[in-house]
Amino acid sequence: MSDVATAPGHDLALCISDLKARKKDQALAEMAAAAGGAGFVTDAPLLTEFLRLRERLGVTAIGKGVAIPHARSTTVYLPRLVIARSPRGIDWSARDGALVQLVILVLSPGEWSEESHHGWLARASSLARLQRNRQKLVGASTPAAASVIIREALS
Amino acid sequence: MIAEAPIARPEETGSPMAAVVLLGDLDALIREVGNPACRARLRKLGFELEESARLAAARGRMIEVMERRWLLAYERAFHRYGRAVVPVRDRVCSGCFVTLPTVARPRAAAQTLHVCQSCGRILYWT
Repeated sequence: MSDVATAPGHDLALCISDLKARKKDQALAEMAAAAGGAGFVTDAPLLTEFLRLRERLGVTAIGKGVAIPHARSTTVYLPRLVIARSPRGIDWSARDGALVQLVILVLSPGEWSEESHHGWLARASSLARLQRNRQKLVGASTPAAASVIIREALS
Repeated sequence: MIAEAPIARPEETGSPMAAVVLLGDLDALIREVGNPACRARLRKLGFELEESARLAAARGRMIEVMERRWLLAYERAFHRYGRAVVPVRDRVCSGCFVTLPTVARPRAAAQTLHVCQSCGRILYWT
């Protein structure tokens, strides 16, 4: 994958191939900034603050090297995913102790209902639930490759 | 164990509008995790949830330093609708879907308390 790219043919997701961040908070900020740069978040620092608040409620790492931070926020303009890889891994305080190598940030607009947000979250988490999807996403070399995996998993 | 990084106080988030937007999102999250059905759905998806006392504490710290008139407008709309801050999309209030006047947008939107004349929700210009 390129550094930051919207997966062609599937603009539901933004891909970051190699997170520069080494810590969870920095990773959230980097991904929120990418979403802000792509135009579907109006205020990236504010979204970052909200994501940090959400992490206080319970870690969003679901194990097996995957974290799914999520937000239903007024700052989100369009429902989107930001998918990022961290080859060296980030300590996300996961229950299984594994470093997180795949982060899927799930963003929903604030006016969405809880049910809609959870539905979107469920679809996104299905991306990471199958081992073959996880491996494909971590190993995707281009946004196009990531796009195919995302399209298959979300269809 | 959850990392205890300090959360920015409202004055650090940049503007009164940013503070009220964050408060609105936080209240929606508190309500969401207070709903047993929502908690069950999130647990089913693999998320461990602790009690929302930490969020309530963060909320308390936020409102301590908010400007009184912003807080009053927020509380009034919050108690009436549940969601007090709504974005303006294409000059339409996304709370009541009334089209706002052409001249409605304040010059310093982040610093100006601007409520919808139709429904009373706080308008977030994007």
